[in-house]
This record gives sequence, structure tokens and C-alpha cells, in this order.
Amino acid sequence: MLAIQILIDGFAISTLYALGALGFTLIFGVSGVLNLAHGGLMVIAAMIAWYLDTSLGFGPYVGALAGVAVCLVAALVTYGGIVRPIENSRAVPAHERELFVLTATLLWGVMIQESLSYAFTNSPITVQPLIAGTVSILGVRTPINEIFIAAVAWAVMGALWLLVNRTQVGRRLLAASINPRALTLLGFELDRIYLFVWVIYGLLAGIAGVLLGSFLGSGSDYVPGLTGSAFTIVVLGGLGSVSGTLIAAYIVGYIETVTAYLVSPSLREVPALILLVVVIYMRPQGLLGRR
Amino acid sequence: MSTIPKSRLAALAVFLIVLALFPLGANGYILGVLTTAFYFAVFAMSWDLLFGYAGEVNFGPTFLIGLGAYGAGMSNALLGLPVPLAIVVGALAAVAGGVALAIPALRLSGPYLGLITLVSVLLLQQAIVIFAGVTGGEIGLSVPDVLSISSAANYEYALAFMLVSGLILFLISRSSLGMILQAAGQDQVAAAALGFNATRHKILAFAVSALFSGLAGAFLVFYLGTASVSAVVDISIGVRVIIAAVLGGRRTIIGGAIGSVFLIVAGELLRPIGQLSTFVVALIALVVIVLFPDGLLGLLPHRRGA
Amino acid sequence: MNTTTTPRLAVSGLHKRFGGLIAVKSLDFNLYPGEILGLIGPNGSGKSTVMQMIMGVVRPTAGQILLDGQDIAGRPTYDIARAGVGIVFQHSRPLRLQTVLENILLGLLPDSLSRLRPPPGAIETARRIGEECGLGEVLDRLPATLPFADLRRMELAKAIARNPSVVLIDEPFAGLTSAEVHDFSALIRRFRDQGRAVMLVDHNVKSIASLADRVLALYLGEKIAEGSSEQVMQDETVRRVYLGGGIETHERPEAEIAAHKVLLQAEDISVFYGKAQALENVSLTVHEGEFVSIVGLNGAGKTSLFNAISGLVPFRGAISWDGAKRAGESAAAIARAGIVQCPETRELFGRLSVAENLELAGQRLPPGERASRLDWLHELFPILRVRGTQESRTLSGGEQQMLAIARSLMLKPRLLILDEPTLGLAPVILGQLSEALSRLRETTDITVLLGEQNVTFALPHADRVYVIEHGRIIWNGTPTRFAAEAGTGYL
Repeated sequence: MLAIQILIDGFAISTLYALGALGFTLIFGVSGVLNLAHGGLMVIAAMIAWYLDTSLGFGPYVGALAGVAVCLVAALVTYGGIVRPIENSRAVPAHERELFVLTATLLWGVMIQESLSYAFTNSPITVQPLIAGTVSILGVRTPINEIFIAAVAWAVMGALWLLVNRTQVGRRLLAASINPRALTLLGFELDRIYLFVWVIYGLLAGIAGVLLGSFLGSGSDYVPGLTGSAFTIVVLGGLGSVSGTLIAAYIVGYIETVTAYLVSPSLREVPALILLVVVIYMRPQGLLGRR
Repeated sequence: MSTIPKSRLAALAVFLIVLALFPLGANGYILGVLTTAFYFAVFAMSWDLLFGYAGEVNFGPTFLIGLGAYGAGMSNALLGLPVPLAIVVGALAAVAGGVALAIPALRLSGPYLGLITLVSVLLLQQAIVIFAGVTGGEIGLSVPDVLSISSAANYEYALAFMLVSGLILFLISRSSLGMILQAAGQDQVAAAALGFNATRHKILAFAVSALFSGLAGAFLVFYLGTASVSAVVDISIGVRVIIAAVLGGRRTIIGGAIGSVFLIVAGELLRPIGQLSTFVVALIALVVIVLFPDGLLGLLPHRRGA
Repeated sequence: MNTTTTPRLAVSGLHKRFGGLIAVKSLDFNLYPGEILGLIGPNGSGKSTVMQMIMGVVRPTAGQILLDGQDIAGRPTYDIARAGVGIVFQHSRPLRLQTVLENILLGLLPDSLSRLRPPPGAIETARRIGEECGLGEVLDRLPATLPFADLRRMELAKAIARNPSVVLIDEPFAGLTSAEVHDFSALIRRFRDQGRAVMLVDHNVKSIASLADRVLALYLGEKIAEGSSEQVMQDETVRRVYLGGGIETHERPEAEIAAHKVLLQAEDISVFYGKAQALENVSLTVHEGEFVSIVGLNGAGKTSLFNAISGLVPFRGAISWDGAKRAGESAAAIARAGIVQCPETRELFGRLSVAENLELAGQRLPPGERASRLDWLHELFPILRVRGTQESRTLSGGEQQMLAIARSLMLKPRLLILDEPTLGLAPVILGQLSEALSRLRETTDITVLLGEQNVTFALPHADRVYVIEHGRIIWNGTPTRFAAEAGTGYL
């Protein structure tokens, strides 16, 4: 019983982790940016979805769509208002750009967190499940929403896979991650490719944020933790490696679930962190990273 | 090595005397705010030595600060060591942590060092929660002894500590050692080609940065009377340290002090707008970082030769 | 030079392998006190690797480097520096907050963790060295305020601060004006006269010919010639490496070319990298359908010129394209307008297959045209069809170059810029490439701007030739006139 419970819960959590971290790793892979406002963007999506549904009564579907849309806008503001100005700034030397982008996105994350907490207080909320009811899987009562979440997440990831591997624009994304200069030589505007990848990122973070909000809850205090877990997964899997991110998401998701069920819920984050330290010391490029 | 114009020295002296005489005029609350700001200033200056001079990006200054704070707090609360000895223990713990960080730092580059420093903070945080029995866990650890109960005395302690630490860090940055560190931070191969063992120098930089971070953390504990994750370990504290240093002007040492005092005083001045104060401070810092990457000191008219 | 003295630096059996690539192959040479040795070779010849191995920046796979009889091979860089080897890197980052004097002083500081002040007398020594290197006037200024030549002087001063017995200098004259070159030569001669062993590393003999007592030429990791500058310049192998074999020409009549309209006009183009000037007032015209070759040695400024034309580097001057003056278009927009560059670095998408590389380039074509163009390219380079599914980074150098050219052609260029396509390729591959270019020129009305060091490769296709040297166009005319007039002084 417990084993099946762990299997099911772990799967749902891991899938959401994967979805959340995928956008993060995509941005890094294609444009070399680590966005530390990531958690903030995910929480924005959940809070907007919750607010439109619960407080304004628009229903869960409108809420979810609005949440994703607002998250997309916030992602574009992150790119256009913070990342791009720093990358184009002559005053920031090239070797310090990384630090500036990291510091600035962190500050942006703090601003998002504070404004959410100002607008909606910092008490945790739960986004209404999009589908109600439960179903029994091998004797374990499982909310249908949990299955729905995993299904949506996998559908989105499948769509992303098709986009990257089966379309012209996907090929350009891949090419940008390998050799951006060559793409310029072929007459493609890198700026447009980066903009496009930020749009995808905004959608992914939004969807992951709303779903996570309906599964684990959300709130302004979740911001640093969500950034942290995306970070852990992406580093563990190897920066910029999509398959590494997926694998790492499931490793982290299951380790956390097992720890929470079998040891203590308060320790759920510890084993993954220790694993991360070991991996960074032994294999700094991550499980599947190249460097 | 460089000489500072006499007029500037005089201005500085006047400024310091005014600072030292502050308790005569200001109330306890303002003194308290400044006391915290002074300890923060040491955090930021220590960080700047590591980043601005040795070229190593430490995203987890609170790992070192936390080790100093908890090292001192626990040796006072659990072992009953007197305050000065407890502070020494805290500083040593931080130095050990700094050297432990230096080892991966010298093998890793780019974002990976940043990551390991960040993860070290998360682990310290978890360790404190797990061993709540001795660390006080999430509630925090109360220490039986404090530096002083007088806010004026605490203020003077903090001011003196900041001035001494700042002076030492500044002198190091301007010394032969600072020049070698800077050369190694800019280009490790070029520094080695001039005959310097860059690795040893960088480890030393980690140790010195850790020493002052740890000392400041330890002092802060005996000022606050408690050591808690939210006050000395939390990532957001580390972020504020980095922001303070970059905001003030990186590669200047004193920029860290200016940035810290600016951030904390601005936070206090904005207190009337309540919750939004953090938002506004973050916004100001963001605007400065994006538009004026050389920070507040960079806004001053340029120095000689330029 | 006196070969009876014992060598200061004796290199034997020096070998370096990077993965599957052998960068330096059992190299032997000596460097004597009081001599200037020039180490030359085209890009990729292994000369930089040799220098880095001597300095300990790169660890040799095998071999000995004896400094006064002591083996220093594989020792850490700082150790080698203290044993008496100084180096001047081509790119350097001075301490920004310190004065010139303090920057020189840096080279005099002990490697100690506890010394906070410079040792007694060091400041005076730094001042003396600075003055010796011609920096007497600027000792108290910050590096950011200095002209490029003074920054290079400062690097020389730093390198000799520890009084090394061996001085390595990478591209001593890059970015300097001819007057500055003269001063630097005098300075380097003085190092020699002080009894130091000096090694200059450069692309070609010409730039260091008057300075070097002895020259050693490398190609593909092996020594191909050694002797005086004159001997090396006359050496058959060296001439073949740099110039190729005999020269053929097939230019079309000048009048026929001049009748076509001007496609590209560049006027007074100058390019700066920081303070170093890479290109000085270069002007150039390309007519529609014309094949123009720009010949010049490595480092002469060909790539900078092409990058300016392609909008990849900022420049001064004006460029007109197809009759209209260009104004601030992005590099990608320039490529879309028809100026397609195939760079010397090839810039393939290494982890994508050959077919995927070509597909990316053809994305803007309608599907039907894309297919027919692909067929045409497969005819031009049949090997690309065979290698279709292979990752492009696993191709041989020649195949990669063919893919790079094919990928550029996929974009339907109105002007194809080929930068150094022969770089690092074996002679048999050059033949194939040359054949493909001939067919391209005969069967299409394509306009080509070719940058080459290898004159034999560049001339047969060309209608017109420019010679670029030291960032300036020094000659232009027909290939036939080149063979008669400019060829002799080229190397």
C-alpha cells in the first residue's frame, strides 16, 4: 500500500518538478541565462489562478489560463527589462555578466515575492483542482486531479519535444544552443530566437506554477524554495541538458517523497541536497551535462 | 600603496568623529539600526575581497557568516565559553568553512562555483534544523551572554569593529598581496606566468574573507542575543550582502560598507510604507545594478588619471 | 649566434596530443643565450602550444624541456616563471586600479602570503625597468589611459621584471604601427644584448625577419625548416605551406568585369579591437559576377575586413551594397540581404548532422527550391550526400570545409565571402576544393570574395587581387600582374 502510494505521489511530484525545471534549463541551454526569479514566476501563475477563481469567481479554467498568461508577461518583462539590458550593457564587462544577471534576477524575484505578499498576504493558498473526485488505483485512493496534473504535464512536455525535434523553429533553438554565431551567419536574428525561447519558458513556468499550486499549494513564501528546487534539479541533471533535467526531476521527486513518507516530512529536502553536493564535487557538469 | 589626498583624509576623519559621537544625539532605535548595518558592512566588505579581488563569486556568504554565528553562539550557550573565546571559536569555524569552500572553488569555474556556495548555505540551513537539539532549530538559539545591554555601547562596538575590519581589508586590498590577488582573479594563467602560485593566494583570500565574515557573524549573535537561520543563514541575507557590495561599488571594499548602510537605512526610512519597503529597496538596487553597474561609488567623479 | 655555447633552453622530443589531435610532434630545438629565435607557422601549426608547454600552461604529453640543464617540462607555471622564464602574452589584462609603475612592480613581488609591502628597492627597480622600456613619462598613469603600444611596453616590462634568462613573446608586433615596430625591435634587441635568450612566436617570417637571428618553421606540429630568415623564406617546403605550388591564372578581361555594376563598395574601413588597430582605411570594390581574392598572411587583417563587411564587428568607414549605403543593419539582416560569409572557423553546428546543418540554412527557401538546391549542392560536393546523417563534428577537416561552403551556398548568396578555406587542409583536399570553386565560377554567375594566405589557391579563380599587409591594402591588380610584380615580396 505505502509503496504504491509513494509510487503515485512521487510520480506526480516528479512530473511537476520536471515541467518546472524544463523551462529553466531551456533558457540556460539556449541563451546561457540562469533565471533566479524562476520561483517568483511560478508563484505568480498560481496566485493569479487562485485569485481569479476563488475571489473573483471566474472559475478554475479562466483562472488557470489567466495565471499562465500573466506568468508569460512576467517572463517577458524579466527578459526585456532585466536580462537584455544587462547583456547589452557596455558598462558590464563580459566576464561579470553572469553575476549581474544572477543578482538582478534574484532582486526581481524578491520584488515579485514582496508584491505578491503585499497584494495577497503571504499565507499559503491552494488552487482549486481543475477536476474534482478521486479514483482508486491498486487500492490507493488517488485524486483524479493528481492524474490530470501528471497527464497535462506530460502532454506539455511531449509538445515541447515535438517543437524542438520536429519543427524548423525547434531546430533553430537547438542550433542556438550549439553555436549562436553560426545562426547569425545564416541570417537568423538571435534576438528573436531568445524572445521565442522566453515565451516558451513563460508558458512552461506558468503551467507548472498553476498545476503545482493545485497539488502542493502556493504562496509568496514558496518563491525561494521553488527557485531552489529547480536549481537543484537542473544542476543535478547537468546545466542545459533536457534529458538530464527529466531524470534528475524524477530522482529528486522520488527521493523527497520516500524521505517524507518513511523518515520525516521535515527532512524531505536534505537527501537531494547531499546528493547534489556529492555530484558537484565528483562530477561538476552534472549527471548528463557536457563541459 | 596608493596615497589618498589630504583633503579626503580630513573629511574622513570628521565623518568618523561624527559617527562616533552619534550616540549622544540619536535614540536607541536609530542606534540599533546602524549597529546592524555596521555588521552587514563587514559581511559585504569581506565578500568584496573575495569577488572583487580574487575574482571568486561566492553566492553563499551566509555559509561563512552562519558558521561564525552558530560556532560562537553554540560554544557560549552549550560549552559556557566566555564571549571573547566564543567569538574566536566562531571565527575559526568560519575559516575552516572558507577553506572547505576554496577547494571546490579552485576546480570549478563559472556558474558551478556559485552553485556550490549556494548549496552549502542550504545544507547548513538543513543541518541547523535537523540538529535542533543543539542549534535551537527554527526558533533560534538564545545565547546567555551579550556584548552589552546599552545600545550606545553596542553601537560603539559595532562601529569600532567595522572600522578596524574595513581598514584591515582595505589595506590588504591595496597591499602587495591585494595586487597579486587581483592579478590572479583577473587572469590566473597570467598571474602564474609572473611567478605567483595563484591557488595558494586564492585559498588565503577565502580564509581572510571567512575570518571577517565569521567574526562579524559572531559579534552579531552577541549583539542580538540569538542566532537564528532567518538572521544569519537564510539565502536572502546572503543576497542582501551581495547586493550591498555590488550596489556600493564592487572592487572597492568601502563600497560594501556604503551599500550596506544605504540598504538598511533606506529600508528603515521606507518603513512607513510597510510591507512595500523591501520591494522598493529591491527596485532601487535593481535599477542601480542595471543602469549603473559600477555602483554608488562609481557615480562619484573619477579618480586620478581617468 | 654562437652554437658552441651551451643552450639555455634545450627542447627534445616535445610531444603534445589533445585527444586524437597531435598538436606537436617530437620537436627538438635549442635556444641559446644572446640570440633571438623566431618560431613561425600558420594557424594551427602548434607554435602556440610549444610556447604554452615551455611556460607550463599546457602539459607536454612527452619530451624534455631543459632550462640550464634542469628539466622544467610539466612543472607548474609559477615555478617555471621563478626558474627564469618570462612571457609576453598577446592578450593581457593589466590591473585597472593600479598605475603603470605598480603594474610593473607586480612582476617584482615575492610569491609570499605574508608580505604586505613590496621588498625594499623594488619600487626603484620597477621605475628603472619602466624607463628602460620607454614608459618613463607614463609611470604614474592608469593603464586605461594609455595608448595600445604603451600597454604592450608595460607587458614587456612586467615580463622582464623578474630578470628572466628566457623571454617568450607572442606576436610581438600585432596591432603596432611601423614606427612602433621599430622601437619595439630595438627594445627586444636590447633584451638579447643583455644576454637573454629571446623567442618570438609569429604567424610568418616577414614580420620578424629583420629581428630574428634564427628562424624555425612549424607546420602541423612538425619542424619543416630551420635557419636564417632568408634561408627559411627561400625554403621550398615553407613556400609551399604559405604560398602553395606554382601559380596559374584564369582572369576574365577587365573590361568585361567593369561593365557589370558595382555590388559591394567599402570605403576607408578601419577596425579597432580595444586600442589595437586591425584594419586601416581599407577600400575595396566588388562587381557583380566578379571573383575577387584578397591575399595576405595570417593576422594581416582579412578576417577583420570580412567581419566588418558582414556587420560582425564595429568599424569606421562606409559600406555600400547594391548601390545603397548601408546603415546599421544587424549581421543577420546583412546575411539575409545576400552577403553570406563562410568564416575560417567554419562555425558548423557540431552536434547536428550534415543534413540538419544544410536544412537550417535552407529554412527560408520555399520547399521545392530547397530540394533542388540541395541536389545541386550534393552534385558539387558528393561526399555530403554520403555523410548526410553523420554529426558534422565527426567529419574530416576537408569535409567540414565543404559542408561550411555548401551551407553558405544554400542561402543563395549574392556575394559569397570565403575566409581562408584552405586553413589546415591537406594538399589533396585543396585540389578538390579548388575544383569545386572552378565549377562554381564556370556554371553560375556567383560573386565571390576570397581571403587566402595560400596564393596558389587564391589566384587561379580570381579576376582581381588585393594584397593586404599589416591592416592595409598595399597592392591591387590582376592575377597575372600579381605573379609578375607582387609575388616575390609576398612572403
